[in-house]
Amino acid sequence: MPQASMGLDFLARVRRTSLLAGLVAALIAGSSFTLLAGLGVAAGCAWCLFNLLALESLVAGLVGARLGREHSLRRMLVGSIGSLVLFALGALLLTQLPPAALMVGFLVPFAVLVLKAGSLLLLQSPLWRRITANPWQAAVLIASIAGASWFAANGMHGVLRAEAQAQHAESTEALAAPPAQAHATSDEPAAAAEAEHAEAEGPKMFDNALGMIIKANHGKPWANVLHHFEYVIYAMLVAVILSIIFIAAARNPQMVPGPLQNLVEAAVEAAYNFFVGILGPKYGPRFVPFLGTLFIYIWAMNFFGTIPLMHSPTANLNITVAMALTVFGYVQFTAFKELGFMGWLDHMAGSPRSAIGWALVPLMMPVHLIGELAKPISLSCRLFGNIFGEDMLLVGFATLGITALSSLHMPFGLPLQLPFMFLGVLITQPVQALVFTMLSTVYFLLMLPHGEHGHGHEGEAPHNAH
Amino acid sequence: MDFHAALGLALPLGIGLAAVGSGIGLGMIGNGAMQAIGRQPEAADKIQLSMIIIGAFAEALTIYAFVTMFILSSKI
Repeated sequence: MPQASMGLDFLARVRRTSLLAGLVAALIAGSSFTLLAGLGVAAGCAWCLFNLLALESLVAGLVGARLGREHSLRRMLVGSIGSLVLFALGALLLTQLPPAALMVGFLVPFAVLVLKAGSLLLLQSPLWRRITANPWQAAVLIASIAGASWFAANGMHGVLRAEAQAQHAESTEALAAPPAQAHATSDEPAAAAEAEHAEAEGPKMFDNALGMIIKANHGKPWANVLHHFEYVIYAMLVAVILSIIFIAAARNPQMVPGPLQNLVEAAVEAAYNFFVGILGPKYGPRFVPFLGTLFIYIWAMNFFGTIPLMHSPTANLNITVAMALTVFGYVQFTAFKELGFMGWLDHMAGSPRSAIGWALVPLMMPVHLIGELAKPISLSCRLFGNIFGEDMLLVGFATLGITALSSLHMPFGLPLQLPFMFLGVLITQPVQALVFTMLSTVYFLLMLPHGEHGHGHEGEAPHNAH
Repeated sequence: MDFHAALGLALPLGIGLAAVGSGIGLGMIGNGAMQAIGRQPEAADKIQLSMIIIGAFAEALTIYAFVTMFILSSKI
């Protein structure tokens, strides 16, 4: 790597990456421990980032002062005062939030810095080049790293568990009458946890591969983790499969395409024509990658449940809410970028152009705001409800088919669920993926400045989709 | 009537009522779309697409009732 990449540009990249990494770490901590821990990680990471920023501006100011640049004094001042304020803030944070979480958040940017610098050094080394020259060597190396980290993680888990048990023993001594929840986490969780588990299971679903693994290893810590992230793992599996297919199709493009390349090209072209047809040639091409990926991904996830031993990730509200929130965030981001804050406000007020329009602003503003907030809810609930409902229907009819033959002691049941499977594969799954994507497109369309389209599109489009 | 009996009666009835509404809506959508295609067969593709999407809206209301039933049916 050239020397320039180790300068301010490198720091900016570190900042960006650690912002994302800190966000993810805070979300994980907030969801798997307590909300306070998540806040602590976020605050620690933000503190460290601002501190780095202040230091950077201080150093840049010092260098600039020697070179006799403008603004360097101001930058130095801002940097030094900023770091003083930050130290006061840090002292305040230490008293309010858990210090361990703060420490973790504080270390995130440093970890990113070290890893980034290390990877830069590693990528240039001759050893790396020699290993990556041969794909088999690389695969063996990745496998050995994965194995080593698996053993390391297991060892660490044992240590953590021992600590947790020690802490738990202390807490049970402190508490005169420990609640039932505490019992479940103690040394013999089997019976109580199982009873709780059966209650929490809710409606019965088809068995799936991960679910069976979890059931076989019930009560072990890694099985619990697997149970929490079951649907996320399936969603990632779908994403990996799709990525492999598309990378394989696009890796070696030919003038005369083979079957796979032909298929993928046709899909991409159809998506391009469809979305550009709705959004118009000016803004359309920018959103085709996002929306097209969304459509194919949702369709694949919907279809995934039809494969035996697999499960549709979209039959879980968490996955659909995550996707709907992504769409919501992107839509609002686009609106702010294209319209500006005042334009967004104007849009939210119903674009008043006359006296009647201005008089209606107090009425239109809440309506539009609630409508915006209702969009992700209705998007996620629709997709979840349809796919979950389809699964339930299949389970119900499969059970009916088995009970119908149970008096004859047959080892199999009537395949009563087959027609509904065909219905799902042919209609429900693609249509729901289409509806989700189509509505996202319409939300983008409503937020884009529509000078050349006029309001004809807006009238056509379902304005207040429920 | 105790809570469980009321729930056991209300859940299927609720789904049925929602399905009645959705069915009427779907019928009206299909009616409008078929008439439009009959008048303008060359626009059939666009009309079909809109029909499917609006049909999904009408259907979604029943699905909401369905999900509510599944959430509440564990309480019976």
